[in-house]
Amino acid sequence: MSENLSACMMRMVETDYALSDYQSDIAPRWCVGCGDTAILTAMQKLCRDEQLAPEKTVCVSGIGCSSRLPHYMNAYGFHGIHGRALPVAEGVKIRRPDLDVFVTTGDGDCTSIGAAHWIHAIRYNMNMTVLLHDNQIYGLTKKQASPTSPIGQKSNTTPFGSVLLPLNPLTVTLGVANVSFVAQAVDWIPDLLYDILKKAFHHRGLSFVRILQRCPEFMQHRFDDYVRDPSKMRILTHGNGLRLSPEVSRVYKNQETHDPLDMGRALAIAAIADEIPVGILYNDPSVPCYDDLRAGERPSTPALVETVLREEFDKVTIWPDDAEPVAAE
Amino acid sequence: MQHQKMPGTTPSHGPASAVNRPALFARYGTLEDLRYDYPLVLVEDDKGGTQFRPLMRLIDDALGAVAQPGPAGEAQRQQVLRLEAAIRRRVAAGESGRLSDLWRTSAAALLQAQGEQPFGPMDTNLDRARERLHADGMVIGCDAATPKAVLSHAWHAVHRDKAAAFRKKVDGLILRLSDILKADFMKSDEAHGAEALKSAVGQADSVGIDFGALSGILARARPVDRLPEDRLHRIGWALSVLGGQRFYGPVRGSELLPGQPKPHSYIFESCARALDAYRERLPEMVEFVKALTTAELEAEGKYRPAQHDPVLNAYDESDLTAEQEALLPAALVLLRDGEDDIAETVRAFEALASGLPIKVLVQTDDILGTTSPEPSRHAFGGGSARLAAMAMGTNNAFALQVSSAHLYRMRDALVRGMRYDGAALFCVYSGATPSVEGVAPYLLAAAATESRAFPTFCYDPSAGPDWARRFDLATNPALEADWPGYRLDFEDGTGQRLSIDTAFSFIDFAMCDARYARYSQPIAQKDWSEKMLPAADWLTLEPAMAVARVPYVLGINAHNELTRCGVAEKVAEAATRAIDAWRRLQELAGIRNSHAERLLAAERVKFEARTAEAVAKAVAAAAAAAPASVGPAPTVAVVASVPAASPARAAAPSAAATAAPAASAAAAPPSDLPWIETARCTTCNECTQINAQLFAYNDNMQAYIVNPDGGSFRQLVEAAEGCQVSIIHPGKPRNPDEPDLPALIERAKAFA
Ligand SMILES: Cc1ncc(C[n+]2csc(CCOP(=O)(O)OP(=O)(O)O)c2C)c(N)n1
Ligand code: SF4
Ligand code: SF4
Ligand SMILES: [Mg+2]
Repeated sequence: MSENLSACMMRMVETDYALSDYQSDIAPRWCVGCGDTAILTAMQKLCRDEQLAPEKTVCVSGIGCSSRLPHYMNAYGFHGIHGRALPVAEGVKIRRPDLDVFVTTGDGDCTSIGAAHWIHAIRYNMNMTVLLHDNQIYGLTKKQASPTSPIGQKSNTTPFGSVLLPLNPLTVTLGVANVSFVAQAVDWIPDLLYDILKKAFHHRGLSFVRILQRCPEFMQHRFDDYVRDPSKMRILTHGNGLRLSPEVSRVYKNQETHDPLDMGRALAIAAIADEIPVGILYNDPSVPCYDDLRAGERPSTPALVETVLREEFDKVTIWPDDAEPVAAE
Repeated sequence: MQHQKMPGTTPSHGPASAVNRPALFARYGTLEDLRYDYPLVLVEDDKGGTQFRPLMRLIDDALGAVAQPGPAGEAQRQQVLRLEAAIRRRVAAGESGRLSDLWRTSAAALLQAQGEQPFGPMDTNLDRARERLHADGMVIGCDAATPKAVLSHAWHAVHRDKAAAFRKKVDGLILRLSDILKADFMKSDEAHGAEALKSAVGQADSVGIDFGALSGILARARPVDRLPEDRLHRIGWALSVLGGQRFYGPVRGSELLPGQPKPHSYIFESCARALDAYRERLPEMVEFVKALTTAELEAEGKYRPAQHDPVLNAYDESDLTAEQEALLPAALVLLRDGEDDIAETVRAFEALASGLPIKVLVQTDDILGTTSPEPSRHAFGGGSARLAAMAMGTNNAFALQVSSAHLYRMRDALVRGMRYDGAALFCVYSGATPSVEGVAPYLLAAAATESRAFPTFCYDPSAGPDWARRFDLATNPALEADWPGYRLDFEDGTGQRLSIDTAFSFIDFAMCDARYARYSQPIAQKDWSEKMLPAADWLTLEPAMAVARVPYVLGINAHNELTRCGVAEKVAEAATRAIDAWRRLQELAGIRNSHAERLLAAERVKFEARTAEAVAKAVAAAAAAAPASVGPAPTVAVVASVPAASPARAAAPSAAATAAPAASAAAAPPSDLPWIETARCTTCNECTQINAQLFAYNDNMQAYIVNPDGGSFRQLVEAAEGCQVSIIHPGKPRNPDEPDLPALIERAKAFA
């Protein structure tokens, strides 16, 4: 037997997770027609197709309608504090690199209160998948303008319409040092949403996926034009990016071949105003990951931690005259 | 005719002296003035994997980084080189120490001797160079202790790398299993008891908190899914085996808890002990592999008792795989030929044939052995030079034969042998032969390789499936020839400078040894005759012709006079055996391969017959067609350019040798051929030493490429790196099957 014994023994254990194995016993409380549901389904499909063990999968979120997602996943979950999903996820990943980490965050959660963490998480480029559910509004707190709300958007905090140009999460992310994966998806084309999630999951590094998400409750008709007119969607394809199925190709004829390593074009695509680009804007697998860079030569076993602490304390210990330990040889 | 003299000495008219050395040695005065591979620095904590480097190269690198080019940096270069010479002298005198220490003491002494102030210009210059050394470690010279020091160092370096990989893997598992136990413990009564909560909060903040009530609340809220008993037990067992393993020691001494058994030692003085230890430790290895496998499965949450228990219960030592063994340390056995019992040699072969990771160093200080015919006739003239060749017979053992003089050149092979998963034999000749006086071990070790008494070769079973990839002979001089040749310069009695081309043979090597001196006695000049023939030529004669001639080798006596020395039959026989062994190695390396030559000859006969037929037809056709004038026959294309003049030796390929072009030496030669900027050559012998079939001097004593196929690409690259004036351009590799080509091509780029 020349093969690795444990690999061989592991293959003896067959797993057959079904979609339902990733559904928790809490029924989603999102409004009917909410785009978050499509995103949850795409994630559960991904877990099933990758046969991810639920106990090796972690979903971390902040606060918002979207951030309720971990409750609905049968996996480890961390429903954190507003804006702080990313630091929590980083903590999980650095200590447990063996777990697959997904982060769910809203436009308010990520680009407003959590903006600082967002920038630094991109720069840290740790190996995880980040889904920005961008409905361009604060949903949970019942309609306040968010940084991504369109100009003129009326809301409880902007009764006469918002006066500032919206922040573009794609161009911002593309501009951060060490960015390694940026994609855009929409909740109403599930095939592409799934394909993009899959690419994001397999990318080693932080994959940032902005998902335009419909909120029928507070942003009625916001994306209607796009949902109805496929030609307003620009699909990005490439040998190293998305490959379209014939069905999708037939409907979405407005396509562009875009090399995900072409940062210049990625920035231009991200800034397109009249169409919605969907696909992988940027993907550079060579960017180093902070978790890899910091992976110690020696894991911090309890024995090592104790030894190091003892050595450190010994440096500042004042020993009673008769109790000084004998110096180590 | 008067005695011939080596240049640079006054003529003497004394009789031939009995004290003789090979004439080649006249070139080398005292080694201390030369920059060569020793002293060698055994690099500590070597991240780059270089393991050991000549002091000279470390210093050249430092100077390259710190000294300004041209005259501006000349003072600093001179000062640092003077310091290097001082360190070399100290090491030659037996001093040892780390480079940083030797540097400090030597620099201080140098400053004092020169009357220079501390922090003055010289001190500053030396210090700047020191900062760029980038390596530290023991500095060693070339002596009887060298093979053991270098091999042990290489073994330790590989062992350290293995230990790091092992700990990363095993400690990672320990951490993950500990986490599982800890998570389970956190659901226990104990973890939520009032005492535990109090100590977690700490004394200062605990005032006013009712820990009993808190414990009650937490107990109600906590999950109840505890780990099953058998899983807890299995994880606990795996943790105790992984934590208590004795294959590798702890990195920090303090991690070894009192009462914990010491790690195993893997350095042995005999193969018998190494094999016994391996057998004794087998049960521990099996237990460890089981625990490791269990831990890997448990960490993934994939251990299924019903499926996996039977597999592990049935697992025993016969199931151990090479991959599993490669995780554990290799043994190092240090043997010394002549000191260890002959039975030990037999055990060594048992160890090599076993395929176990046992690395055996057989250091030999005496290749020739005694001249007495006991115990077998073949003891005369060297048995230890055959061990590595014999080890190749086991087929799966790695074998390296090298003298101390070429240890650095064979560094990559040595490290490969240490990293090799199976057994390895390293036969190293130290050059410190007690019966040789007045010849530095480095010189004698180099002479052993030159004279084919101890050729350098490496057999690496991991290099590929065939001999062409596994066997490497390329580091020897004059690969294609029986003996390497060299040019000897001398003055005749009238002070006229002369030179002759001669060979360096096994007989020249044996002559250095006091026990063998009587087999090559000087012949008084009055007895010289027309019947005398250089021994190298004589050895090629048919027996019937040989009896009519008298063989001799060239020696120099105590007065530095060139003499002819007779060759006794016994030493001639030993030389014949040496050349026979060398030819066998050549065949294994595909050089002068008898099978290939036979095939080639048969093909040539066929080819010639076909061409003759074609020519005859063409001539007949031409004669029939037109009676026009016939032009000159086409000439053979010139493949190697000979920059200044035709080579002295006729060994160059016939096509090249005849047509010496008048091209100027500066002109870049065509395409991808190797070439030398001959006009800039400083005649330092560096390249010609590496391989005289490849590099030779022209009539101006400047080097050129005599035959681009006369050696390996590696030799071209090494020569280019060694050339102090950087004028050797290796071109492109000519043999696509040469090992390590990508790395060599990378190194060659600097000399494009
Ligand atoms: C520190 C803090 N500040 C403010 C809030 C109130 N709050 C809850 S959700 C939310 C915004 C959510 O918007 P978004 O992130 O876009 O999520 P959505 O509900 O739209 O999915 C805010 C401001 C809070 N919970 N915590
Ligand atoms: S408010 Fe909007 S975002 Fe929130 S659940 Fe309802 S539809 Fe979805
Ligand atoms: S090594 Fe360079 S300098 Fe020295 S002889 Fe050869 S070519 Fe000339
Ligand atoms: Mg929102």
